[in-house]
Amino acid sequence: MRKGNKKKALSIYPNKMYIFVIPALILFSVFWILPLLQLFYYSFTNFNGINYQYNFVGLKNYIKIVNDGTLVNAVKNTLFYAILIVSGSNILGLTVALVLNSKMKGKTLFRTAAYLPALFSAIVVGFIWSYVYMPKSGMIASLMNLFGLNGDNFNILGNFRTALVGIAIVEIWKAFGSTMIIYLAGLQTLDESLLEAARVDGCSEWKSITKLKLPLISPTITINIILNVISGLKAFDYAFIMTNGGPGKSTNTLMFTVYRFAFTDQSMGKASALSVMAFLLIIIITVSMLIYLNKKEVEL
Amino acid sequence: MVKKYKENRISPGRVFLYLFIIAFCIIIISPLVIVLSSSFREKDNMMSPLLLFQQFSLDSYKIAFTKMNYPAALLNSLMTTGGSLAIIILIAPMAAYPMARMKTRLGRGLYYFFIAGLIIPSQMVIVPVAQMIGRLNVPNTRFTPMLMFITCSLPFSTFLFTGFMKGVPQEIEEAAHMDGAGLCRRLFSIVYPLLKPAIVSTVITQGLWIWNDYFYPMIFISKSNQYSLPVAMIQFLGDKENPAQWNILFAACVLCALPLILGFSILQKQFISGIAAGALKG
Repeated sequence: MRKGNKKKALSIYPNKMYIFVIPALILFSVFWILPLLQLFYYSFTNFNGINYQYNFVGLKNYIKIVNDGTLVNAVKNTLFYAILIVSGSNILGLTVALVLNSKMKGKTLFRTAAYLPALFSAIVVGFIWSYVYMPKSGMIASLMNLFGLNGDNFNILGNFRTALVGIAIVEIWKAFGSTMIIYLAGLQTLDESLLEAARVDGCSEWKSITKLKLPLISPTITINIILNVISGLKAFDYAFIMTNGGPGKSTNTLMFTVYRFAFTDQSMGKASALSVMAFLLIIIITVSMLIYLNKKEVEL
Repeated sequence: MVKKYKENRISPGRVFLYLFIIAFCIIIISPLVIVLSSSFREKDNMMSPLLLFQQFSLDSYKIAFTKMNYPAALLNSLMTTGGSLAIIILIAPMAAYPMARMKTRLGRGLYYFFIAGLIIPSQMVIVPVAQMIGRLNVPNTRFTPMLMFITCSLPFSTFLFTGFMKGVPQEIEEAAHMDGAGLCRRLFSIVYPLLKPAIVSTVITQGLWIWNDYFYPMIFISKSNQYSLPVAMIQFLGDKENPAQWNILFAACVLCALPLILGFSILQKQFISGIAAGALKG
């Protein structure tokens, strides 16, 4: 069949055009996929990352990580963080996009203000928010004092219950701007005459948002949720820059723990074992979300 | 007519919307305003940072400028980001060409193979990657991180280019084929110029993270004269705990962010459409 029907197509697109993939494929395989496969191998050794005299230890790394609670703690922190990021930046991004989409004066100015944090490097954002959160003389503490609240007790990063929320707020501050831009673009594709018709029929603004706009931009919602889930599961930057995993182990996310195992504890075996488990978790979550959201999109 | 009337009327709802968005934007940019105001203070000015714009001095900027070796760091950032982007917008469309045009299992397989790379975090693979770079005898220079910048950008950019290329009608290529144009010729002089929105989107989205990335340069670069801007910031990490150094730190933050803010103010339209196109074309 291929030879008969697609003969014309085949002649313009011969198989040798796969040659074009080669430069990208080599880079991608050598520096991204091969290292990933190596992790599986190292996860069964006591390799320290430097000295190549290592032995096979079987499942010892895996058992250790599961038994000392590292896995449960890191997974719990990462999932909580990811949920905060996904809900935070989508709720903020969507709300601001809906407001700005309602033919406002000064829309560009507001959009720029909301997007500005997205331009900063995570390291700069970490510095800025270290000041904002600083106990006693930081921005929030000073403002609380100004309004007569007891700002001296404010120490969001110093408390193991609130530190993770603290760094999640920082990431939401930086990330929601891009989410908003994508929502704005999605909202602009809506058919004006349809919304107009609903308005003429006496449909309230709230109803037109929930019954018309949101269902119509459901592909945009899907892509924003997935982008945020992927970046939430990769949480590393602010645990590294702002809290160093602490206090205690309260901001030890999966990727921060992997980094700590590999570079601070010099235990590449444990880092690899945790990476393998993290990788499986990320695959399961992303794939099941893709399937679920695609189904939902069709239903809407 | 009904619409115009409704929208120009000052209703309590509209007032509320304006108040909401103004308050929201003030909250969002307030840390940035404080950073900017404090960066213009002399380094031992310990007045509360909430008293905005009380002093204008470039004292802190001078210290930060020398401490982070600004001209060198800026040049390193420009070279690595520019070089990576140039290679990405060359090899990503090349890789996307067969993926968009070949309706075979191999074509689709490659497409998913590349996309799957999106979910791998850098911290996970960094040690084997560093070993690989050592084993291939790639020297540690300011250009080493470029290898990883390009590699990490491939999943997204091949995905984007494949999406855009499917929108380029095959008939144009058929006509060129009749005229005797080969594959290379067709890709670079016919299809490539039609991909301009995808190129803009790739340059913006990938340029943004490459410029801001500190992780790969931090791992691969050891000489301080080879640091890019974000890595030059890491040496201020110790000053974080010392309020006496805040003004200098803030000046450094402004210096680090300045090139991107300038770029954004000039290319705002391209930024906005590039980010949106990147996400929505998929």
